[in-house]
Amino acid sequence: MATTAKADHQTGLNDEASKLPSAQLTKGDYEELLRQLYLARYFDVRLIKEKKRGRLRGTLYSSHNQEAILVGSLFGLQSEDWISPIHRDMPAFFLKDIRKDWNNDDRMGMTIQEVCAQVWGKATSPGRARDNWSHIGCQSKHIIHSTSMLAGTIPAAAGVVLADRLNGKNTIAMTFNGEGSTAQGVFHEAVNFAAVHKLPVVTIIENNQWAYGTPTNLEYPLEDFARRADGYGILGLIADGQDVVDVYDKVMQAVNHARSGKGPSIVECKTFRAYGHGDHDDDRAARYRPADEVEKGRERDPIAVMKKRMVEMGYMTADDAKNYAAEGKGASEVTDIDFPQQVVDYLSKGVEFAIKSPLPEAEEAAQWVFKEVE
Amino acid sequence: MSAPTIQSTKVNYLTALKDAIAEEFARDKDIVAMGEDIGLLGGAFGVTDGLQEKFGKDRVYDMPISEAAIVGVACGLCLNGKKAIVEMQFIDFISCGFDQIVNMTATYHYRTAGEVNIPMVIRGPAGAYGGGALYHSQMNEAWFAHSPGLKIVCPSNPYDAKGLMKAAIRDPNPVIFYEIKDLYRRRDIEMELPEEDYIVPLGKAKVVKEGEDITIVTYGQNVYHVLAAAENLEKEGYRAEVIDLRTIVPLDEETIIESLKKTNRLLVVNEAPKTCGVAGEVLARMTENAFQYLDAPPARITRMDTPVPWVKPLELYVLPSVEKITEAGLRICKF
Ligand SMILES: Cc1ncc(C[n+]2csc(CCOP(=O)(O)OP(=O)(O)O)c2C)c(N)n1
Ligand SMILES: [Mg+2]
Repeated sequence: MATTAKADHQTGLNDEASKLPSAQLTKGDYEELLRQLYLARYFDVRLIKEKKRGRLRGTLYSSHNQEAILVGSLFGLQSEDWISPIHRDMPAFFLKDIRKDWNNDDRMGMTIQEVCAQVWGKATSPGRARDNWSHIGCQSKHIIHSTSMLAGTIPAAAGVVLADRLNGKNTIAMTFNGEGSTAQGVFHEAVNFAAVHKLPVVTIIENNQWAYGTPTNLEYPLEDFARRADGYGILGLIADGQDVVDVYDKVMQAVNHARSGKGPSIVECKTFRAYGHGDHDDDRAARYRPADEVEKGRERDPIAVMKKRMVEMGYMTADDAKNYAAEGKGASEVTDIDFPQQVVDYLSKGVEFAIKSPLPEAEEAAQWVFKEVE
Repeated sequence: MSAPTIQSTKVNYLTALKDAIAEEFARDKDIVAMGEDIGLLGGAFGVTDGLQEKFGKDRVYDMPISEAAIVGVACGLCLNGKKAIVEMQFIDFISCGFDQIVNMTATYHYRTAGEVNIPMVIRGPAGAYGGGALYHSQMNEAWFAHSPGLKIVCPSNPYDAKGLMKAAIRDPNPVIFYEIKDLYRRRDIEMELPEEDYIVPLGKAKVVKEGEDITIVTYGQNVYHVLAAAENLEKEGYRAEVIDLRTIVPLDEETIIESLKKTNRLLVVNEAPKTCGVAGEVLARMTENAFQYLDAPPARITRMDTPVPWVKPLELYVLPSVEKITEAGLRICKF
């Protein structure tokens, strides 16, 4: 049955949390958040263009317009925390732990070179490009490797933080999921287990209103998915997925909740999908999607929303906000001059590395079915 | 054979499947379809394109992303008088519905001593060679061949696709239907199909090329690799007989044995891994039942016992190829 719950529903959150985590953010932090939004956007735009030129294989699941969710969620994590991104979250691999130093290759996130090598299918990818696109990870950098099977990594997210707990460490596992993926039985099974043991698992729901060609009303009958948290007896929060600061605020409440031993949470970030499900679906999407949905959505581009905030806070002049006008535009409508040079240079470094890197050798295909027993 | 009974245009593999489903929907109002994105979108590959428009939302369901619920609900529909056609968006995702298939659905007839039967078709795009990587390339038919109570079908051309789909839908048992996605829109295999209703019966293999020197048994996309290899063998003076199994369960042993009586040599090719696969099963049965006709050790060409890696040279390295089949065929012929 449909419910009329308001978008400000916050299950289990008490009043003292009303002091928002973002109150601690400095002007520099705001600038960094905006730069990361540009970086995630530029990554997507660049890949869309490279794919159109025929330089990439596999399906591209664009994160265009959903960047605030990734940036805002990852910004407050600590280096040792774990994440498990899925198909639409490619930027998460390099955004993890990037905050302090983009160019520190030893940080607890993937380098842009590694991520690009993966997308280009090269031997220098962390998984030597055995599986495609987002199906990578890095044990030492605490990034869980997903399969295609949606929601399949959430049990493992509970497992890694259980192991850390057993070893006396207080880490968080942050999982990313589309709203459609939550219909999988394993989603329920994992969240329930995490709830029983009060494990620090923060489940981010990227609610972009569509699961491929299926609208949310055929996926679950709630207006606010976060209300599911009630049934698990855990914290449920709703964030404006277009607003990186609101995402940060809600996710940090969930993270603090988890880190203080109170257990798991679901943070529903409301957003919309900028293109087809994948690039193969861009043309077909018009058949099932209302024509004005994308246009209307783009009015609240996360880059624009953040600029507006920064102008209001006096962190940026209205004139400065006109610079790097990538917001509200599709990939074909922007060029490199719409992005800060630092962002373009950073990504170019990754792309060049990927192009120069060798393909894996065919014979490798027979390797690593089993680990050799010494 | 007369002109009016043949459609003027050729039909591809996908259209053949689509037409089979739509025609069965029109014939039998108890048929219901369920799957992810099969209604509004018409399916990830378009096999159910237009089906919901034509037959309505009560018969064509866009399901939440839960393969277990898709299969399990379909099982309930069948338990109560309906017939269900369910789509796995990729056959790889069938693993997420595994319990509902092998324990709930497959065993129903058996554990009710024949009271209940489940007329369900589980269909989905399958197969490698397209760069789909580990989870969009699988041929996992052996998992289900090992679960008694499930029929398994895999057509290699539009005629068989349509006729087998209709037979599967009309069959009173659960059938898993492997649609080879690389064949969906392949132009060079398009065919003119009969206008009148026809089925291709389950459990009947087909000799797709006659020969006397070696029998090569296969199915699915490998049929085309085997036919190319047979041409290579012909250049070396050996005529291969090629058998397309079409149905894996039940297995048509008779057609293979008849062929072996003539050729006395056997090679089996399947796209799935080697260990406990269908090729191994065919070899075992022929060793048991047709040993007296064999003049050379039979052999198989399969995928290596690895997942399907993404990058092209690696993908091809682990899969059966024309070269590997030719080489094995020559070895057996020269034995
Ligand atoms: C178990 C499983 N079933 C089906 C699919 C095919 N599939 C891939 S993405 C997708 C839609 C996912 O929707 P959602 O979770 O909302 O994420 P979004 O793509 O909208 O970000 C589907 C059905 C899959 N990957 N895994
Ligand atoms: Mg979605």
